[in-house]
Amino acid sequence: MGLARSLLIKAISLFAVLMIVMGIIVVILGFSGYSDRLLNAIVTQQTNAFALSLPEGTLPEARAQMIADYETTLTEAYGLNVPWWGRLPSMVWRVLSLDLGEARTAQSYAGSKNINAIILERLPNTILLITSAIVISVIIGLFVGIKAATVPGSILDRVTSYFSAVSYAMPTWWIGIIFILVLAVMLRWFPTGLMYSAPPPEDPLMRFLDVLWHAALPIGALTLGLSGIYIYQTRTVVLNTAQEDFVSVARAKGLPENIVRRRYVLRVAAPPLLTNVILGLAGSISGAILTETVFRWPGMGLLYYNAIFTADEGIIVGLTFMFTLVYVVARFVLEVLYVALDPRVRY
Amino acid sequence: MPTRTQEALQEFWATKVAKVGVVFLVTLILISVFVLVFYPLNFGEELWNNPIVWADNPKAVGPSWTQAFSSQAQAEHLIFELPEPVESDFSQGFKRQLFQVSFLFEADDFPQFTSFTMRDVQFQEDPPFVTLILHRPDGEAIILLDVDIPYPEPEDSPPYVFYSEDPRRIYLSGSPAVRLAVATFARRQLNMEVLVSDIAAVGPEKFMFGVPSSQGGRATDVLKGEYTLSVLVEGVHADDAMGSARFVVAGQLFGLMGTDNLGRDLAVGLLFGFPVALFIGVVTSTLTAGVGGILGVISGYKGGKVDMVIQRTVDILNNVPLLPILIFLLFIVGSSLWNIVILLVVFGWTSLTIIVRSMVLQIRDGEFIQASVALGAGTRRIIFRHILPQVAPFILAQLIFFTPSAILAEAALSFLGLGDPSIPTWGQILDRGFSDGALYLGYWWWIIPPGILIVIAAVTFVLIALGFEPVINPRLRRRR
Repeated sequence: MGLARSLLIKAISLFAVLMIVMGIIVVILGFSGYSDRLLNAIVTQQTNAFALSLPEGTLPEARAQMIADYETTLTEAYGLNVPWWGRLPSMVWRVLSLDLGEARTAQSYAGSKNINAIILERLPNTILLITSAIVISVIIGLFVGIKAATVPGSILDRVTSYFSAVSYAMPTWWIGIIFILVLAVMLRWFPTGLMYSAPPPEDPLMRFLDVLWHAALPIGALTLGLSGIYIYQTRTVVLNTAQEDFVSVARAKGLPENIVRRRYVLRVAAPPLLTNVILGLAGSISGAILTETVFRWPGMGLLYYNAIFTADEGIIVGLTFMFTLVYVVARFVLEVLYVALDPRVRY
Repeated sequence: MPTRTQEALQEFWATKVAKVGVVFLVTLILISVFVLVFYPLNFGEELWNNPIVWADNPKAVGPSWTQAFSSQAQAEHLIFELPEPVESDFSQGFKRQLFQVSFLFEADDFPQFTSFTMRDVQFQEDPPFVTLILHRPDGEAIILLDVDIPYPEPEDSPPYVFYSEDPRRIYLSGSPAVRLAVATFARRQLNMEVLVSDIAAVGPEKFMFGVPSSQGGRATDVLKGEYTLSVLVEGVHADDAMGSARFVVAGQLFGLMGTDNLGRDLAVGLLFGFPVALFIGVVTSTLTAGVGGILGVISGYKGGKVDMVIQRTVDILNNVPLLPILIFLLFIVGSSLWNIVILLVVFGWTSLTIIVRSMVLQIRDGEFIQASVALGAGTRRIIFRHILPQVAPFILAQLIFFTPSAILAEAALSFLGLGDPSIPTWGQILDRGFSDGALYLGYWWWIIPPGILIVIAAVTFVLIALGFEPVINPRLRRRR
C-alpha cells in the first residue's frame, strides 16, 4: 500500500533527523573540548578526594604510585585515554538505548543521580504546564479567530489584530515576570514560583489545588503569550479559505451559513490549523525553558537551563535527545493526522 | 515597474497598522541616531560595566518622578562639587584652606549613603591634615573624619601631588573612622546607647542626620534643616593645598528611570539598548531573508542534487528544538553579538526557503519562462528578470516579519544570561534585575521598562509586517 510505504519513509527520515541532531550535539561537545574539560575536571576532583582519603602513614612513594594508578584507572574509565571521537559511538549508543547514565549535580527528589529518573520525574511537570496552556490558548484561538474571520474588518477583527500583534511581540517570560511582580509580590495572591508550597499538603485534593495555585501564573502567562498567535493564525486560515471559489458556490447554492462554515470552510481550514497546534505543542515543550526559569517550575526546561550552567553533560545530551524526540514524534503524528483529515493528501 | 511599487505603497499606507508601525519605527530610528551620536561606541566596556563611573549614584532606587505619587518626602540625590576653598590663608607658618557647602535636608527618610571625593592634594614636606566636619541644624557638629594621606615615596621629589589622575573617593558610610566618630557623637551629644556595631548595621546617616526618636531605643527621626559640611585643609607650606572636592548625599530616588544595584543610571542603559536592538533585528532579518531567499530560488530553479541537499538540510533544521539548541551552541561558542546573530540566521532561514522554492517551482513551469528559454535567455537573466521580481515582495515581507523574532530571540538569550557582556541590551538589564532578585524586592523600575521597550521594538515590526500583508496577499485587501 502506497500510504503505509510513504509513512514509513517519513518515519525513517525523521529518525535520521533525530540521529543527525544527536550526532551534531555529541560532536560539538567533543570538538569544542567541552567534554574533555568536563571529564578531566571530574577525574581531578575524584583523584584529589582519593588522595585525601589515603591513610596518614603511607610512604610518599607508595602514596604517589597509588594516586597515579587511581588517576589512570579513572582516565580509562571515563574514556579520556582515547580522543573524543573515540568515545562518540558508545555515547550515541547509550543515549539511543536510553541509558543516559548519571548526572553530575542534578538530582531527583529522592536524591537519585540517574538521568533517566531525573528526566522522567520532570517530564510530567513540563507537560502539565504546557498542555494546559496550549489547550486553553487553542480553544481561545479557535473561538475568537473564527469569530473575527466571520466579519473581516469588524471591531472584533481589528481589536484581535492589535491584540495578536502585541501578544506576538510580548515575550512570554516577561509576561510571567510582570505577573510575579504584580500578582505575587505586590498583591500576594499567588506564589512567586515553584510547584508546591513548603511543605506540600498531605491530602491529595489539597495537593492538587496547591499545584493548581502554583501553576496559575505560568499557565496564565503562557496562555496570554500564545493565544494571540493562535487567534491570528486561525483568522488568517479561515479568512483565506472563506474566499475560495467553492465556498462562494456553496453560498450561491443557498446553503445555510452555518453549514457553509462548518462543512466548507472549517473542514478545509482544519489541517493547517492542526499543524500549528501540534507544532506549537512540540516546540513549546522545549520552549518553556524561559517560563520555567522565571517561575522556577521544576520541569525539563529549568533542568536543561541549570545543566548548561553547571556543565552537566549527560543531562544536556539526554534532554536534547528528549526534546528532539518529542518534536520528531509530533511531526510524525502530524503526517498521520494529515492523511486522516484531508482526503486530498495521498502522496 | 514603478506603478506596481506605487500601488503597493498605497495599499500598505492605507492600513492603519502600517501607519502606527511607521511612526514607531521613525521614533526608534531617531533615538538610535541620537544615541550613536552622543554615546561612545565602547560604552559597554568603558562606562556601563565600570563600577567607578556609577559609585556616587544611589543603589537600586526608583525614578525621581515617583515622588509625585508618594506621601513621604523621599531624599533627593544631592551632589556638591567644591571647586575652590571659601577661605584660604597662610600666616605664621600655617596654611589653612576651608571648603564649605550648606544644604537643606527636608526629606522624611535618611540618605542612602554619603561619600567624599578629593582631587589634587599637593604638599612640600608632610601631607596636610584634611578634616571633615558636619554642622547640624541643631547647632551640633560632628568631626566625621581626619583623612589619612600617605607620605610620599622616597624617590619622589616635592612638590608632591596626590589624587590628580585618580581622585580619592571615601565611602563615608563604610568608613570605620566615621562609624567611631558618629557613635561617639551619638553617645555624648544625643545621649543614646549606641555601639559602633549598631552604626555598622544601620549606617552612620541614621545618626548624622537624626535625633533620638520618640519610640526610644536606638531609633532615630530625621532632623530636618540646614546642614553644612566643612572641609578643613591644614598644611605648613604656602602651596600645600587641596584642589577640589565633591560631597555626595545619596538620595532614595534618582533620575528618570532609577538605578540598579550598582547605581547604574537605568535611563542611560535603556537608551543604549535602542540602536543595539535595531541592529540585531535588522541585520539578523536581512541576513536570514537573504540566505533563505537565495537558497529557495536555487533550490527551486536548479532542482536535482542541489535541491535535494538544500531540502534535507531544511528538514533537519526544521526538526530541531530551536531554543535548547541555541542555548547549547551559544554556551559552547561563547556569547558575542555576532555569534547570536549568526546562530539566529543559521536556524532561521528554512521557512522562507520552503515557500520561495515552491513559488519558484510554479514560476519555472510558467509558459513565459519556457518562452524565454526558447529565445535563448541564460539562467542568470531568467532568475533576475523573471523570477526575482515575483518573489522579491514576498521575501521583503518575510524580512520584516523576521525582525521582531530576532529582537525577541536576542532578548530571550540575554535574559538567560547568554547576552554579549560588552554591549548592554534590554534583555541583559532584565537578566541582571531578575538574577539579583529585583523582582522579589519589588524594584519594578528595573524590570518593567526594559520589557516594555522590547515589546515596543518588536511590535513596531509586527505592525509593519501586518500592513504589508494585504500587499502580498490581495485576498486580504479590504473592499473599499
